[in-house]
Amino acid sequence: MSPRVRLTVLQAAAPLVALLLGVVVAAAIMLALGHDPVATFALMASFNLRPASLASIAFKATPLIFAGLAAAMAFRVNLWNIGVEGQYYIGAFAAAMVGFGLRGLPAVIHLPLTILAGVAGGVLWALPPILLRLRRGAHEVITTIMMNYIALALVHYLLADVFRDPAQAGTPRIRTPLLAASARMPGLHDALALAGIELPGHSALNWLLPVGILLCVALALLLSTTRAGYEVRAVAHGAGAAEAAGIPLDRVHLMMFAGSGALAGLVGLNDLLGFFGYFDVDFPKGLGFLGISVALLAKNHPVGIIFAALLFGYLDRGAEGIQVFSRVPREVITILQAVTILAIVVAYEGVSRYLRALRTREAAVPGAATPGPEAA
Amino acid sequence: MAAEPVIQLRDITKRFPGVVANDGVTVEVGRGEIHAVVGENGAGKSTLMKILYGLYRPDAGEILIRGRPVALDGPRHALHLGIGMVHQHFMLVPGFTVTENIILGSEPASHGRLDRARARAVVARLCQQFGFRLDPDAQVQTLSVGEQQRIEILKVLYRGAEILILDEPTAVLVPQEVEELFTNLRRLRADGKTILFISHKLDEVLAIADRITVLRRGRVVGTVAAGATKAALAEMMVGRPVLLALERSPAAPGELMLEAQDLTVADGDGRALVRGVSLAVRGGEIYAIAGVEGNGQSELVEALVGLRPLAGGRVLVGGAPVARHTVREARSRGVAHVPEDRHRRGLVLPMAVWENLILGHHRRRSFLRGPFLRMPAILEFGRQRVAEFDVRVPALRTPALALSGGNQQKLVLARELAFQPRVLIAAQPTRGLDIGATEFVRRQLLAARAEGRAVLLVSADLDEVLTLADRIGVMYNGRIAAEFAHGEATPAELGLYMVGTERKGREGAP
Repeated sequence: MSPRVRLTVLQAAAPLVALLLGVVVAAAIMLALGHDPVATFALMASFNLRPASLASIAFKATPLIFAGLAAAMAFRVNLWNIGVEGQYYIGAFAAAMVGFGLRGLPAVIHLPLTILAGVAGGVLWALPPILLRLRRGAHEVITTIMMNYIALALVHYLLADVFRDPAQAGTPRIRTPLLAASARMPGLHDALALAGIELPGHSALNWLLPVGILLCVALALLLSTTRAGYEVRAVAHGAGAAEAAGIPLDRVHLMMFAGSGALAGLVGLNDLLGFFGYFDVDFPKGLGFLGISVALLAKNHPVGIIFAALLFGYLDRGAEGIQVFSRVPREVITILQAVTILAIVVAYEGVSRYLRALRTREAAVPGAATPGPEAA
Repeated sequence: MAAEPVIQLRDITKRFPGVVANDGVTVEVGRGEIHAVVGENGAGKSTLMKILYGLYRPDAGEILIRGRPVALDGPRHALHLGIGMVHQHFMLVPGFTVTENIILGSEPASHGRLDRARARAVVARLCQQFGFRLDPDAQVQTLSVGEQQRIEILKVLYRGAEILILDEPTAVLVPQEVEELFTNLRRLRADGKTILFISHKLDEVLAIADRITVLRRGRVVGTVAAGATKAALAEMMVGRPVLLALERSPAAPGELMLEAQDLTVADGDGRALVRGVSLAVRGGEIYAIAGVEGNGQSELVEALVGLRPLAGGRVLVGGAPVARHTVREARSRGVAHVPEDRHRRGLVLPMAVWENLILGHHRRRSFLRGPFLRMPAILEFGRQRVAEFDVRVPALRTPALALSGGNQQKLVLARELAFQPRVLIAAQPTRGLDIGATEFVRRQLLAARAEGRAVLLVSADLDEVLTLADRIGVMYNGRIAAEFAHGEATPAELGLYMVGTERKGREGAP
């Protein structure tokens, strides 16, 4: 069937075409600024292929995998969790508190507890919006955005006035005490060395990357092969029919949103447990919003999120490279990312329109055959 | 030919990828003629009308309007040539008056200001000229469906149409309204208007049309004059003889299977939509609820299947009250539901045929291994259901939205009638289906009855209600206004109760 093949090609090509469009716009800006786009992209590629850069890309991609998954999980069932940002902030701070607050525990207990605290913080921050949505019909876009502001203010208050490291008194540093070593996430150096890959010594790449990738694969399998996944897909694609079939909509919505918050709670741990070892006033912001972009680019598909996150890591690292070595402002790359996302939204809309047209036409095919034994 | 042809469609061919929607279609319509185009869903009626209305361009063939070849490039152009379309789904602004709706888009204005007086006068004159009973100042939301349809027709006439295309105009009307529509159409004909009438209701077509063109699979099977028999037309449409009268075994009512006791349902603001409805359906019996849509039928069904909370009363299945008022509880007690809105409630359209077939059954142990779906068992179930109900699908993994309406409804029935339900609640089960599929669905309802299931049928189609039901309840304004046994009421009588002019039975005055 040629239309079907064409559709598959279209679906696969959409993100690539969108990316290409982003590259073209970025190139135009570089030209306007008097830089050579071909040379710049070539520089970016060669810079990114250095071992240190590869490690950095993987490190940058790690939180984006969790953030993308968090956003996608809610988006899947048409809940717009714009609050990943606040949820990861609260989650990371909760993890930090467990990390520096408990002492003398063995790592096998302390590290899981710390991670759990992150998850709990994320869920805690996701619950008010979803409960307000289910009980009172308050739109989650509004409430999650508000929760983001509250999260930021709350964390800054706790950081500066309650849990500030006394050892830093008299310095301009506003941060928590150092986390216990037993709460830190071990690096990937040893594991990669076993595989014959030498990770640069200063790299902060840690076990959260494989955890994130595994989570993606596990969620993809869960969605496609389990009863729970089936119910989620039914709610996602036809809430009315799912409800008429006895699937409790509210419970699915609650579970998915809480799950989204739980994953959001993991976003900040890469930097907290794998790199800084303390939570300070400059703790990375914006990862939650990037996660929304990652989810959009991946069309909410868990495995697609791995690639989307890696692409964002690549662009981010590349932006640092070209800023240093060719004095092209890194904002050009931010624009490239934004244009790609815009284009992808438009492209997916185009593809789904084509899909609709195709299916209405197919529906008009008189007397398609009854399936034989080879069907399905 | 009554007069010189106003519309000539010659050898129109329109292809879509994989389908020839119209294949060398030739139709000629004379001035002052009511010409019906009939055919099953997918026969190419709509495509042909969209070509005539300028929405599609034909791949081959030519269109002549008043003898002159034209290349239509849109509805605006079609309207300019005097061709107007009355859509099946009304496009009216509820808060506007009749006049405002009619002039919307081509308002009479003087110096940029809307000339209300002139607009009102024009509309009043149109109503008078064609004998339309319509108050130009009435708000659309207060009007009946029949009156709203009159507005749609006037909209087209206001824009100067000489040729009117009516797409399934009777689908939403009660018998009295159909009569009035036909009276109006005859007046338009007398005034020299040409009318193209698309339908698959053969009785109505035979009652109104001067000539009838039958399409099947994109081709013209023939054009016949009024006076053809219904059976002949049906055979032309379907391509094989059709049994129009269904075999109906004598009633053998059994145990009480479904009971509603004093059921009351309210909307979010506490307004009662269903007001104290009591009914009882026995096994081996079809109880039909007739009524104009929006009189509480949908809400009653949703309450019975557990989709809507009850404001009062209770539901009994198999003689025992339903413990928890949820869909899952109702289903586990053996209540099957063919929802009124098959696209929104009946199927998850983007999901595959097999996924739709287990919807609601997906918690059965035979379909699960631990938390996982047991695919071999599910696919086997799917193959068996699809074969038994003759659902035409290319493969079990085809998404439901790729199926025709008839096949979609077969899919719903195949699912709902699996696992021996005690009660089948079918809401508008043949709406929008072609003759073949309608016949199939009705047979399934009768088969369920013969197997001793209790069938509650909600239908706006009076023929369907009268042929299938053992008992008929007419619903008006949230109440059962009257109950009849099979053969006790004529369509016209039912119609009176449906519009609230008559009331009888247990419910009393409001």
